[in-house]
Amino acid sequence: MIEIRNLQKEYVEEETPTRALRGVTLSIDKGEFVSIMGPSGSGKSTLLQILSFLDRPTGGSYTFQGKSIDGMTDRELAHVRNKDMGFVFQSFNLLSRLTVYDNVEIPLLYSATQPVKRQTLVEEAVRSVGLEDKLRTEAGKLSGGQKQRVAIARALVTDPNVIFADDPTGNLDSQSGLQIMEILKLLHDKGRTVILVTHETQTAEFANRIIRMKDGLIESDKAITAHMLHGPLK
Amino acid sequence: MRLPDAFKTATRSLTHGKMRSILTMLGIVIGIASVIILMSIGQSAQDLILGQVQSVGSNLIIIVPGAPSNGKFSPPASAQGIVVTSLQQRDVDALQREPSIDLAVPEVRGQAEVIYGNNSATVSYTGSTADFFAVSNLTKMSEGQAFSKSDVDSGAHVAVIGPDLANTLFGTGLDPINKTILLKNVAFRVVGVLSKGGTGAFGVDIGNLVVVPISVAQKQLLGITYFNVIIAQANAAYDINFVKSRITFVLRQDHGITDPNKDDFSIETQADILSILGSITSVLTLFLAAIASISLIVGGIGIMNIMLVSVTERTREIGLRKAVGATDTDILQQFLIESVLLTFVGGAVGIAFGMVVVGAVYLGVNAFSPTLGWVFAFPISAVILGLVVSGIAGIAFGIYPARQAGKKNPIDALRYE
Repeated sequence: MIEIRNLQKEYVEEETPTRALRGVTLSIDKGEFVSIMGPSGSGKSTLLQILSFLDRPTGGSYTFQGKSIDGMTDRELAHVRNKDMGFVFQSFNLLSRLTVYDNVEIPLLYSATQPVKRQTLVEEAVRSVGLEDKLRTEAGKLSGGQKQRVAIARALVTDPNVIFADDPTGNLDSQSGLQIMEILKLLHDKGRTVILVTHETQTAEFANRIIRMKDGLIESDKAITAHMLHGPLK
Repeated sequence: MRLPDAFKTATRSLTHGKMRSILTMLGIVIGIASVIILMSIGQSAQDLILGQVQSVGSNLIIIVPGAPSNGKFSPPASAQGIVVTSLQQRDVDALQREPSIDLAVPEVRGQAEVIYGNNSATVSYTGSTADFFAVSNLTKMSEGQAFSKSDVDSGAHVAVIGPDLANTLFGTGLDPINKTILLKNVAFRVVGVLSKGGTGAFGVDIGNLVVVPISVAQKQLLGITYFNVIIAQANAAYDINFVKSRITFVLRQDHGITDPNKDDFSIETQADILSILGSITSVLTLFLAAIASISLIVGGIGIMNIMLVSVTERTREIGLRKAVGATDTDILQQFLIESVLLTFVGGAVGIAFGMVVVGAVYLGVNAFSPTLGWVFAFPISAVILGLVVSGIAGIAFGIYPARQAGKKNPIDALRYE
């Protein structure tokens, strides 16, 4: 599903180039649950941004679902983000003055889904994160854990193949963080590919594969199937 | 994004910052309202002026002494201080014999102080024949009656005065009829008071006019034998341009002129004057509207300013929308719709506000000066112009902020604090 070869990313700020990714090669299959870990500045967030089409690499190749990113226009990237990808951010990124319903509906607006169908999809997504009683509540009035559940519902509403989560528990207390990870695990169990960036080992261990990064390169890439038998550490 | 959804999204953003939206719109409201008000009042003024000229009668031909200006706009010779004595009684007599002309009415004009008791006023006076009242559409008297042909022939010292002057001289309690007034120290007996006031054709203040027999005005007030103007009323059976050519022919014959370039008189019809006045008032209205539109530009810049602030404030929102699939065009469209909605609603409110002000002016003018005949004019062209201009302003002043929004890179936008 995801194939990257010698992926590089270089930022130039005030004429000083910074190499955030220095040649990363990686492949992720459909249905995997992958955690990407590493200290800050290791390039893990940059990698996630490129994988999720929010940014373009400056070198190397990236093939998503058999299609190279090179030939794609910004409009096509936006279309793939809308159709095939879901996003969960550390800082939720909800529009706080809109209701839960309106927030979850946003991706459907950009896929030009008909209003009647939108309603069904939004209600279904909100129900799947257990917030059906908050449908008409303003997003700004929710607790952190609830906000992140709304964000997950928003990521789910277009029924994407991959869900990208950038440190989704970073702003939450451990109890709420755990709930969020349970939901992500459930999504994975239902067949979705989940790619997660985190710096908490506990969170990372929900995945069945952990990639550690350092200085823009992959340091280790391990499957942790045995661990799944015990469930995550509580 | 589907267009109805785009409108819904834009409306929602605007209503979330109600106060800001209202204040932003205010500039456009004031701009559109001032354009509308000036255009409407200009239209009313134009209708009023043209209406008064027309009320004098559209079959009138005005003959003034001096060479014609041949299309170039220049003041008549008399206004330049040149005394032209070419119009005489024999011209009037010759015109009276012409079958295409019903009436030929000579006039002399001057300004002087008029006194009754302790009251006085400086007024315009006209010396003319008894036909003056018919030709000028002033036959209706509120009191007394007009002077007669025999008054003119005998050189009677009688006068017809305007209603405002009657009020100035006699107040409301005193009957002006048969009172003796002094005009340029010559005594005249008031025989009639005109019923119509206000400003008449050619800027004559009818309310303060004094009309006396031409024989007396020529000899005793002015000491002249020529006329300032002859007004000819064409016979309705003839085409006005034919009558015009007949007058030219008669006067050239009378004055012994063979070279058409050496005419010592000029002729204008009511239609000529109407078209000149119409174009002058139109230019003035446009000029005022152009000045008012400066406030529209200021309002538009206000909108651009607020939209730029809004784009910066909502950087994270833009980043999020792009992350979940919005294209550059979607974002540009959203912000452009917001600014066009602001200006369009502002324009509509401006039109409504303008209509209220124009209505108030109409009521006010008619309350203070009911005889003026001020009409309520609210040209549909002004409404269409207002809406079109406000829509265009929204696009013109919204496109730059909207492009800035659309160009934002989703990563930078999401990272924005």
